[in-house]
Amino acid sequence: MTEAVELEVKNLDFYYNGTNHALRAISLPIFRNKVTALIGPSGCGKTTLLRCFNRMHDLYPNHRYEGEIQFQGKNILGDNVDLIDLRSRIGMVFQKPTPFPMTIAENIAYGLRLKGIRQRHDLTERIERALKHAALWEEVRDKLNSSAYDLSGGQQQRLVIARALAVEPEVLLFDEPTSALDPISTAKIEELVVNLKKDVTIIIVTHNMQQAARVSDMTGFLYMGELIEFGTTEKIFTNPDKKQTDDYITGRFG
Amino acid sequence: MSTPKEQDIEKLKERILKMGAHVEAAIRKSVTALVERDRDMAISVIDGDAIVNTYDVEIEEECIRFLAIWQPTGSNLRFVTTAIKIITDLERMGDLAVDICERAVELMDEPPLKPYIDIPRMAEASQKMLKDSLDAFVGRDADLAIRVCGSDDFVDNLNHQIFNELLVYMLKDPKNISRAVRLTYITKYLERIADHATNIAEMVVYMVKGKVIRHMACEPRLTEKQ
Repeated sequence: MTEAVELEVKNLDFYYNGTNHALRAISLPIFRNKVTALIGPSGCGKTTLLRCFNRMHDLYPNHRYEGEIQFQGKNILGDNVDLIDLRSRIGMVFQKPTPFPMTIAENIAYGLRLKGIRQRHDLTERIERALKHAALWEEVRDKLNSSAYDLSGGQQQRLVIARALAVEPEVLLFDEPTSALDPISTAKIEELVVNLKKDVTIIIVTHNMQQAARVSDMTGFLYMGELIEFGTTEKIFTNPDKKQTDDYITGRFG
Repeated sequence: MSTPKEQDIEKLKERILKMGAHVEAAIRKSVTALVERDRDMAISVIDGDAIVNTYDVEIEEECIRFLAIWQPTGSNLRFVTTAIKIITDLERMGDLAVDICERAVELMDEPPLKPYIDIPRMAEASQKMLKDSLDAFVGRDADLAIRVCGSDDFVDNLNHQIFNELLVYMLKDPKNISRAVRLTYITKYLERIADHATNIAEMVVYMVKGKVIRHMACEPRLTEKQ
């Protein structure tokens, strides 16, 4: 594939608590403006891998990275990385929607203010843009000053996505974003993910294989901390190279 | 605005229509090659079959991809499984057009046995059945599909009529046998083409109504009016 690479994982190992070897020699490219799905059975390391991209593990003690993740000419696992800046350029959406205990507008303004955008006019404009980008604007335009907690689960999740989009990230990480949502909300989020990729590079962890097949361009299959196979979603789901991959997608294990 | 899944469905329909148009043209040209004793046209049909085979393989791959990516259920599932079966029938019809051309070329070694009147009529009827069956597929039109099934009798009857006529020629003079036998092959191919169009139409009824009418006699089909 001669597509542009946004992030390159090079021989990544990760240890929890010094000795728990959770990721083993992982190497893969994350292509720009594509959706890459990480699939595998529970405990295979897909969320662990996802959290390496924005150094989430740094929030907990006794973690160890080995290897590199190259992002815009720099190894983001190295020293001298501005983690605050990294996390606004590589945003994250979690399984459980996590709106701040504020109004809808304030949820989005919060990150913008941290970036130095304070003028009311600018904020208003960027809040609207972010909400439109996350396909939520029409539903909340008349209640921007009501509490984010008044929204449904699916709407809260889109609010969280809007909040991440407001600071114009290059990459968005989704960790099982629809596991807690009903089928209609799930379909809306999936449609949003597919529409967002023209603006943002997306990595999505999901235990729902059919979702991975529907939304992603590339798929990586992990098992016991190893990347067993990585390829186009079409190939992985119609004719994978490894028997283990085929066993997983046909439901023979995991 | 249509979803990616709907777009994939439209793309599949378009591809199948293109394949069908190619096969329809091949049938038409094969009979033209016979009637006008046009060797070049016959050869162009024979060479053009490679395109039909390519369509067969590529559309099947797209159908399998559709199944893997969308895991369709209900009417979408019946649509894709119908598409996979239809392209098989279309590919066979393409092969039959080639067979017609091969016999037509052989017949060019001798003067024509008789004016060709009924063979072109059979071909026209078969072509119309093919076109209507594909229109029914794309338009999800079960009524049109059922009418296609009903038209099969016309082609079968023409086939019998031509066969009996050719028998008379063979009995009249042994020198006619070589040409008459080749002509019966051709009418057999055209009758098979009509059968394949009927298969497509039966699959379309299944796709639209979820009801299997394959392998049933003609009468019940003609009374299907739901």
